[in-house]
Amino acid sequence: MRRGVTITPGLPPPVASVRPRRPIIANVMLLATVVLAFGTIAGQLLYLGTKNGPQLSIAVTEQAATSYARPDIIDRNGRLLATDVEAPSLFADPAILLDKDEVVEKLATVFSDLDQAELRRSLSDKTRRFVWVRRGLSPAVAQRIHNLGLPGLSFRKELRRAYPAGELAGHVLGSVNLDNKGTSGIEKYIDEAVGVEAVHSATLSDRAPVRLSLDMGVQHTLEDELETAYRRYHTEGAAGVVLDVKTGEIVASASLPKIDPARPGMALDPHLIDRIAGGSYELGSVFKTITVAMALDAGTTAATVFDVRQPLVSGRFTITDMHPAGRPLSVAEVFTHSSNVGAGMMALGAGPEKFSDFLKRAGLLDPMKTEAGPISPPQVPQKWDQLELITVSYGHGIAVAPLQFATAAAALVNGGTKLVPTFLKYRSNTPGALPLVSAETSREIARLMRLNVLDADGTGKRADVPGYRVGGKTGTAERADNGGYQKKAVISSFLAAFPTDEPRYLTFVLLFEPDGIGETNGQRTASTNAAPVTARLIRRIAPQLGVAPQETALTD
Amino acid sequence: MRLLNVVSFCFTVASAFLLYSLNYETRRLEAEVQTKERVADLARSDIAILKAERSHLSRPDRIDSIARAQGLGPPRAEQLARPGVALRGSNAPRLAEGQ
Repeated sequence: MRRGVTITPGLPPPVASVRPRRPIIANVMLLATVVLAFGTIAGQLLYLGTKNGPQLSIAVTEQAATSYARPDIIDRNGRLLATDVEAPSLFADPAILLDKDEVVEKLATVFSDLDQAELRRSLSDKTRRFVWVRRGLSPAVAQRIHNLGLPGLSFRKELRRAYPAGELAGHVLGSVNLDNKGTSGIEKYIDEAVGVEAVHSATLSDRAPVRLSLDMGVQHTLEDELETAYRRYHTEGAAGVVLDVKTGEIVASASLPKIDPARPGMALDPHLIDRIAGGSYELGSVFKTITVAMALDAGTTAATVFDVRQPLVSGRFTITDMHPAGRPLSVAEVFTHSSNVGAGMMALGAGPEKFSDFLKRAGLLDPMKTEAGPISPPQVPQKWDQLELITVSYGHGIAVAPLQFATAAAALVNGGTKLVPTFLKYRSNTPGALPLVSAETSREIARLMRLNVLDADGTGKRADVPGYRVGGKTGTAERADNGGYQKKAVISSFLAAFPTDEPRYLTFVLLFEPDGIGETNGQRTASTNAAPVTARLIRRIAPQLGVAPQETALTD
Repeated sequence: MRLLNVVSFCFTVASAFLLYSLNYETRRLEAEVQTKERVADLARSDIAILKAERSHLSRPDRIDSIARAQGLGPPRAEQLARPGVALRGSNAPRLAEGQ
């Protein structure tokens, strides 16, 4: 666009060539504007191309398909107890389904338990675009459905909870629902306290695993020994717990019959409840451990003698010993002979206020909870009259959950420090808690428990394991039924601590309604069944727990 | 001025070409990222399943029955030795202090 015009001198310039003169500066400005505009675009492109900003993406939300990504659960040594895996889930789109009857019939060949009427009904609604048919399929089943070649059926990957160890620790782990949300046990605790991510696809959680206090090996051993006892003594149920008495960590907790965490419905069956934390029971003579500890802590010594020859009478009730000694017994003998009269006299000597106060401090009167949920609350006497004092002293008229009792008993042998039971590894126990008993009382209780196993007349003599210095106390409680007690339906239990020179672990084994068998001479008492079960248990778990056997005992 | 016109025309064509190739490159990279992400997701999912399978195979009740079938059993107290302590009545060599 050169604007040069030839001007002939002398003539007026031709009209056509008369144009307004635009200054050069205007052109330059125009050009600059164009360059600037292109430059801006180029610059913007460069900026967008090189910047590493957050990735922008659009999430398509679909309410029907929300599920939760959960962290793994591992045992104290890092072995896997629960994890998320991806599994295909089958859904249908009724809008593009060709023949719903054909679909339902063909699906029924793969899923034998398919509710055909229900599926037909939900597929008839053409306004719906998304109907779950079956969730959490195995790859093989998904392939079979794929091979049916039905249009309108699709899969989407979802997270499913897998429990690689099967039924191991099923009661503790709890379970999740179809959306992978925790509904009970540790799984529920994870939802409430650790956190889960809501996801719309199969995205695995990147949270750190939840480390439990359980030891998979010890847990298996406990379940295995209980299973053997369950069959040998034809019991209605069996339960056991292993506690670290220094930290309150629950190393193993089992209840038989077992439940499978992968089948959430099982937990609703009352026959399958967690007998360690989910039920309160009158525990019988094991409770004398508490009574004797209270008496010792109040100044009685193991040598103090009680005259137990006369039965205790309270109102219309007479309390006698199962095997009367026929002579006065020392505190130590009351413990090893398991004298009801002796225990009753200790409680009467202390009086209602002191006795109930001690039980309260031991944590036996108030509800308690762990990470796996609330423990079944204790059932305690409404008033503390003479009769209640006597019966509670030997474990009747008060029902507590075995875990709650084991926690109180652990405080008696660990030097007197109160504990909070936990299913998590290394949770700091509440510091500054008042000691339950003095260190001397604690040592004395451990000594009496050991004596009960060593003594030829002791009720716990079948619980001895050479090398591991086991001490313990038996309990055989008749089960209450319709206002009375049944002679043949008993809960036989054994509370043990080892090694008794410096107790580290406590076990509590319970057998529910064992039968008398040939091996026990038809007896149902704890000394004939729960005690030997405990011996077999400790023989197997002590090496796993790193308790060194005492050398002198090895050559016996 | 003609030169400037030519230059800006060339510049326009060049930037259009640049824009096109950038666009093309971006799509290619996007596809590559998606492929890699799919591979990573698949690997992650495989790891989760393999982890679960390994734990399933090493579950204690399975190891227990396999070990017992091999004639093994739980360790007995007399099978455990501590350094520096000889087992009486056995031929176990005594470990010297500090060894």
